[in-house]
Amino acid sequence: MARVVRHKDMNWLERLYIFEACRGLWTTLKHAARGLFRYEQLPTISYPEGQPEIWNSYRAKHRLMLRPDGTPRCVACGMCAAACPAKCIFIEATQSDDPRIEKRVMRFDIDHLTCVFCGLCAEACPVDALRMDTKVVSFEHRTREEFVASLYDLTSWDPKDYPDDALSQEAPGGTRNAEARKIWGMEVK
Amino acid sequence: MSNYYNMPKLPTENSPKVEIFVDDRPVMVPGDTNLLEALKAVGIETPHICYHPYLPVSGNCRQCLVEQEGPRGRMLVISCYTPVVPGMKIYTPASSERVKNARKATQEFMLVNHPLDCPICDKAGECTLQENFMEAGQNESRLRPEVGKNYHGNPDHQFVDSKGQVRGGKHVDIGPRILLDEERCVQCDRCVRFMRSVAGDEQLQLAGRADHTYISTFPGEKLDHEYDLCVTDICPTGAMTAKYFRFQKRVWLLSHTPTVSMDDSLGANIWLDHADGKIWRMMPRCNPQVNRSWLSNTSRMAFQTFSENRLPAIDASAIKIGEGKVAIVLGGTCTIEDLAAARMLKDSLGGRAELFGGTFRAVGKADGIAKSGDPMANRKGFKVMGVGDNNLQDLVKRVSEFETLITVNADLFGEDAAAASPLEKIKNRIALSAFDDATAKKATVAFGIRHWSEVQGTMVNSLGILQKLNAAPTAPEAELRPAYEVLSQLSGTAITCASKAFKKAGEYASVLAEYSYDNIKSTGALLNGVEV
Repeated sequence: MARVVRHKDMNWLERLYIFEACRGLWTTLKHAARGLFRYEQLPTISYPEGQPEIWNSYRAKHRLMLRPDGTPRCVACGMCAAACPAKCIFIEATQSDDPRIEKRVMRFDIDHLTCVFCGLCAEACPVDALRMDTKVVSFEHRTREEFVASLYDLTSWDPKDYPDDALSQEAPGGTRNAEARKIWGMEVK
Repeated sequence: MSNYYNMPKLPTENSPKVEIFVDDRPVMVPGDTNLLEALKAVGIETPHICYHPYLPVSGNCRQCLVEQEGPRGRMLVISCYTPVVPGMKIYTPASSERVKNARKATQEFMLVNHPLDCPICDKAGECTLQENFMEAGQNESRLRPEVGKNYHGNPDHQFVDSKGQVRGGKHVDIGPRILLDEERCVQCDRCVRFMRSVAGDEQLQLAGRADHTYISTFPGEKLDHEYDLCVTDICPTGAMTAKYFRFQKRVWLLSHTPTVSMDDSLGANIWLDHADGKIWRMMPRCNPQVNRSWLSNTSRMAFQTFSENRLPAIDASAIKIGEGKVAIVLGGTCTIEDLAAARMLKDSLGGRAELFGGTFRAVGKADGIAKSGDPMANRKGFKVMGVGDNNLQDLVKRVSEFETLITVNADLFGEDAAAASPLEKIKNRIALSAFDDATAKKATVAFGIRHWSEVQGTMVNSLGILQKLNAAPTAPEAELRPAYEVLSQLSGTAITCASKAFKKAGEYASVLAEYSYDNIKSTGALLNGVEV
């Protein structure tokens, strides 16, 4: 049902226009002056010098977690590709060289032009290999092909960027890597 | 060696109907079979692992439990080994909580030491254990985490993983085509029974006892048999996996096309599993009259060359049939439709054309499982259509009469270059072939057509059963056309649809006239009056 909103009629002072126009200009001038003298109080950020604050739960660019020996944790089961509503994950599997690991991923491509950042892939992953916590939110590339993140792109991240995450610190270069490698009992590849 | 004393009797169309009581309701079921098949016939599925309709009953998985009213009250019995008796009273989980709990408990035991490998297991998606878990199990895990899943099988393959659990035999190289994962094995012994009773070569055995049982070959021996890939089909878990398909594709991404293998004149019924325009594997399709559930390795692995070395499609105007006599040679993989189109072409050319058919390859013997040994797949179809199926020697003798040679799906030079060499005297050699084979290389015009896996059509197998081929969408080029389209176009009246070509075949062979292409069943139709 339509709702009729009745506006209050303008009085004669408002209908004169000139006073109301000056009032609007005063608002503009006030904000312009705040940008010059009270910069920190502005409700906007001056991108790209200022970067937005991103929460830990924000679904940003993907990364693939690494085992203590630096190989991707991904077992190429294809659950993420099956869960993906945009069909932007392409996986090819192969036999692992390590006798204790059966299957390893040979190709893992995520097309970030098609990705809708729903997070279902990270949720579907049975081995916690795929995460979306890189906080990378802007994608700028020159060609379409560069938007496709390869296995190399997804695994080249630095444990120093994730100081509070225990699993990230087990990757090579992390604070818990030596300890984890001892438990894992694995040769470094 | 093989014994059939407990081979399950399967219901047929002629089975006598008897009345039994399922959950206190009277139902009519086939009377000469076991309870599992009888319940299946009335639409009640019973979860089972070790039972297979074409293997002797073993009854070791205890998954197919039902309750039967007996003199001492209601007892749990396994339905796969209980014959149907008129008037028997059966209780399924629909009414009996006891059956439900028993099946659930069996399922739980089955999974106690079964690894949670499903994400990396090739069987996931078509696994009997997964299906049964959804149907009968759905247990919460009662394992204590400090104990975990431990594998006690083959002591030679055991190792301790990073969590301190005993693991074992993740990829045991059991033979040239098969890998065994001992952890995933549930000791249903289907593979053992297959090798013993069907393949007739007892290469697999269960070794050890109780929890320590594992599948093994004899010391120093390997699993190597013409039918050994069938054990990967019948394995209810991912324990036996085929090396050629391992990690290639998740099974839920595959589409299935029911068709007939033209590798052999038995015409084994198959599924072509394809995805992304490529055939990934070939699986046997159950046909009780023809190949049951079996498929030979040669037929199964043939798909690997279907997309290789293909001829491109060219314009049909390149085919010029000269003025002199024309010999049309039809190969064994020609369908009934191709033969009909060839006869149309012969009729349009009048008396100067002759049809030949056959192969230079040796005809072997039937092995009684899924091969007749005859490489000429549609030989019975040639007989039905009145096309000579073994007159290549005649052609070679009278080669000087002909001026044009048209070969359709017949790689004469590839089969026997010496026997076919006189055919080079014919000046105008036109090859209609899917592959750029020896005959296509020697031809003056090589015309690419569709392979049998990419065409609609029919064939008559060595048992006289008319079977239907379906096209998998895997043709490398959209312009490629089936042989019957090209041949009928040459004859002047183009036929572009298999059902019309089949109707045309009915004009040449009265036995086919009573069928229409669309109402041939997926298991085929036994032709009347075709000598077997």
